[in-house]
Amino acid sequence: MKTFFVTNRHLWNRILAGVAGLAIFCMLWPGSATAHRVNVFAWVEGDTVHSQSKFSGGKLVKGGEVIVYDLGGKQLLSGKTDDKGEFSFKVPERVAMKMVIQAGTGHRGEWTIPVNEIIGVSELKTEPAAPVNNTPEKPLVQAPMPGLNGDEVRQIVEQTLDQKLKPVIGLLVETRKAGPTLPDILGGIGYILGLMGLAAYMHFRHKSAQIGAEKKD
Amino acid sequence: MHISEGILSGPVLISGVALAAAGTAIGLKKLDYERIPRAAILAASFFVASLIHVPVGPSSVHLILNGIVGLILGWGAFPVILVALVLQTVFFQFGGITTLGVNTMIMAAPAVFCYYLFGGLVRKRPGIALPAAFACGGLSVFFGGIMVGLALIFTEENFLKVSYLVVAAHVPIMIIEGLITAFCVAFLKKVQPEMLQK
Repeated sequence: MKTFFVTNRHLWNRILAGVAGLAIFCMLWPGSATAHRVNVFAWVEGDTVHSQSKFSGGKLVKGGEVIVYDLGGKQLLSGKTDDKGEFSFKVPERVAMKMVIQAGTGHRGEWTIPVNEIIGVSELKTEPAAPVNNTPEKPLVQAPMPGLNGDEVRQIVEQTLDQKLKPVIGLLVETRKAGPTLPDILGGIGYILGLMGLAAYMHFRHKSAQIGAEKKD
Repeated sequence: MHISEGILSGPVLISGVALAAAGTAIGLKKLDYERIPRAAILAASFFVASLIHVPVGPSSVHLILNGIVGLILGWGAFPVILVALVLQTVFFQFGGITTLGVNTMIMAAPAVFCYYLFGGLVRKRPGIALPAAFACGGLSVFFGGIMVGLALIFTEENFLKVSYLVVAAHVPIMIIEGLITAFCVAFLKKVQPEMLQK
């Protein structure tokens, strides 16, 4: 092993210099956008699901095809993302849903909305006979009446919470991991160097076994 | 050029895996010990090249570098690209585990093809070698786009349209990769000409 490092010293220096150079190059590169992985982020506000889709790197998915399924694979609705990469829809049924975004030429992303996040939709909606359009359209300004029942109070609280949480959700959307981080990059390069080391080890084990066999003869 | 999980149908995925496995087996057989370090450098370059983005119109694309990998390694491009793609999938979530075979074919098959087309020319004098290296870098990306169209032929149904979209988006990348490949070849010819030998 030692002779290998000595005889190949320039090669090793060059490899190290090359890898370090590439890593530095990548750190300095003003990479802003990409076309690759599609990141979907969806959140529920009352009876509406909002979503934003980005490519890894932060570029918005404009005009991406959105299909919403229930977990059984039945298609509930479909649409397209707007210029901000956003897509919103009213919750059609109180079931867990899976959003799938197809951004064309092989790009796809998905997000699952668990059923316990969909709290703004009245329980009645799960009953099969319930009319589709029974969600309150503009209940926000309802004056608190003396005869409020539990459901109404809950709805008012939820709406207020949704409003208060809006900036927080906005922040979450903004700060979502946009692309690979430095540890990811260095980790990958480390694996490649490790594989090379493994190949070198196998080779020299094989070689030293051969030398050992020759000595015996 | 990485196709995500959940788009392709089973037969496409399976044939991708079979072809990529065959290519990798040939590549490993041809990759003798002296070439391991250079294969590793190229794998590392391929791995990080995908992070170098070039904004193109509404979308943006990244470097691929399959041309130079093919030119230096020939069939060795298969194992190298496979390893780099596995790591890109695991660390960057580019592509997907089930699409590894198809993605390897998309990027490695054009690399080997261009190696046969241009490998001989590149070893000749600079007047021929540099244009050939440029063409090798550019065409590897071009054929990659065609391969994406082929892979999606059973899902997006319009081979010409998909190929056109992918190739059109990658035109700047073709030019950049052509330049990078020509630059690498010029550099290697001066510094370490044995890297380009068969």
